[in-house]
Amino acid sequence: MVENERWIRVHVERKRAGEQLLSLTGDRERRIRSHWLLPDGRIEAESLICEEGRFPSLSVSLPEVAWDEREIHDMFGYVPEGHPDLRPLVRTPRWPDSFYPLKERVAAPQWLDVEPDNPAKVVEGEGMTVMKVGPTHAGIIESGHFVFSIMGENILHLDAHLFQNHRGVEKTLEGLTVTDARPFVSRICGADTVSHQYNFVSAVEQLTGREVPEAVAWQRVLLLESERILSHLNDLAQIPAGVGFTVAHQRGLAMKEVWQQELAAVFGHRFLFDAMNQGQITMSGKERFLTALSSLEREWGKWRKLVDRQRGFHDRMRGVGVVRREDADQLGAVGVALRATGIRLDVRAQMPLYRHVQIAIPHVSGGDVEARFQVRLQEVENSFRLLRTALEQLRKDATRDDWQPPVDVTGEAVGYSESPHGLNAHVLQIKNGRIERYHVRSGAYRNWPVLALAVAGNAVADFPLINKSFELCYSCADR
Amino acid sequence: MDLQRKSFQLRHVDAGSCNACEQELTALLSKELDMQRYGIDMVASPRHADGLVVTGPVTDTMKTALEKVWESVPRPRKLIALGDCAVGCGVFQAAYASHGGVGAALETPDLEIRGCPPDPKKILKKLNP
Repeated sequence: MVENERWIRVHVERKRAGEQLLSLTGDRERRIRSHWLLPDGRIEAESLICEEGRFPSLSVSLPEVAWDEREIHDMFGYVPEGHPDLRPLVRTPRWPDSFYPLKERVAAPQWLDVEPDNPAKVVEGEGMTVMKVGPTHAGIIESGHFVFSIMGENILHLDAHLFQNHRGVEKTLEGLTVTDARPFVSRICGADTVSHQYNFVSAVEQLTGREVPEAVAWQRVLLLESERILSHLNDLAQIPAGVGFTVAHQRGLAMKEVWQQELAAVFGHRFLFDAMNQGQITMSGKERFLTALSSLEREWGKWRKLVDRQRGFHDRMRGVGVVRREDADQLGAVGVALRATGIRLDVRAQMPLYRHVQIAIPHVSGGDVEARFQVRLQEVENSFRLLRTALEQLRKDATRDDWQPPVDVTGEAVGYSESPHGLNAHVLQIKNGRIERYHVRSGAYRNWPVLALAVAGNAVADFPLINKSFELCYSCADR
Repeated sequence: MDLQRKSFQLRHVDAGSCNACEQELTALLSKELDMQRYGIDMVASPRHADGLVVTGPVTDTMKTALEKVWESVPRPRKLIALGDCAVGCGVFQAAYASHGGVGAALETPDLEIRGCPPDPKKILKKLNP
């Protein structure tokens, strides 16, 4: 009992001290573990043994872990006692009652022949309508199921049922060696792949005490910022589509396409899959990259003028999909969605990788679609500058980084980075070179509940616009 | 059938993709590549479609929805597996919640477009032989 009270108290204190939650997850040894990032960059852990399969829920005092605790319940069967909403999150009625994928070593179960829908939370009463959207959609987007409670044209409540794309990534990684796991980690998500790759290599390097050579570090900055630009270009191009501003949408997509072609020419892949294991950039690659960057900056300048001067476009985005600062803080929002509320957190400031550069955080505070648009605009331009700095540092033709971890690498480590969609953390437990447990807590995972809150009070017709202003991945939330 | 010769309208369903295949499909609708000029387009309803494009290894949670959409596509119709996951040779084939691609989960696709993800120009070439 004393232990349970302590568990809740230490977490509340850490949050109050301005620490950032990296992850909360369980393992087969009945341990519940949380990891916290301190303002000075250190990582500390809290641990609790789940007696009789139960542990005290933190969700009431720390709402940002509501999903994590539901996930632990789904995947291990450990019960977070006192959780206010213990409906299934990842599992569906098709999962056999006895199937807890991360608790056991069994393979695929015999799925039950029923519909996969979980109970939805809806608002009932006179004049209320429930509108279900998905899981398949009319356009080319990822699958997700949204249950809207609407009154007239306005959304009162959104119950987002994600995890339609749950593949079982974490379980798949168990038992693999570092080398074998790389292509899997690279494909957790198409939009944040470099961030995922970095987290993995960073966790492995922490366990082996590797000093990363300067040239390798700069190459990683190059890849992470190239990905940020790619992802922000995509998201910035999608927002105008949400209001029918087709010229800005199409020109944005064209910029993105050219950038992808250049990334493929220099790093070998249009989305930078597996790029972290390729060799260092060559002198000719560097020349080509600089030319591509200059050309993108010219196009970007023209595009910015186009969107900046369209007053109607900005009027359309203002006051829509507002995230209040206190809600962002309470729900543990990250990335663009958090910074758009005026909370100036960007974990690049804590990452050792960026210690030689200054990370400029945009001064924006409206918390609406416009604010998220503005944050991305400024971050793209900051990334242009970071790319130039990294390129200057990569003066010589560096040798190939063919470092391999020792075959018997053992221990637990957390890799984290600021992905284009916010703080992304991986927890690695490895024994004698084989992965025992792997947990991914991505930026999108943290921000989905924030999005659901932000749409309440808005018109249904604005949902696509608000959704695009977050542009959250489904795949790295669903895993 | 003759009327369909120059028109190929497709409906897309994501069944567990990482979002890279989706982005490449979207790129085909951008003015840079513009597949609509060849008579290939993406449509909102399976009822309007001549074919279904599936991405992802077919997760268990998406399997039923995918079956319903496929059933709604009027015949004659084409089933297209886009990307290594949907084709059945991607990295997540053996994951517990994956059904191992379109062929294993639904039926043998009429067209397989390999790649992780396939290059948009390759997709276009395959869709427009």
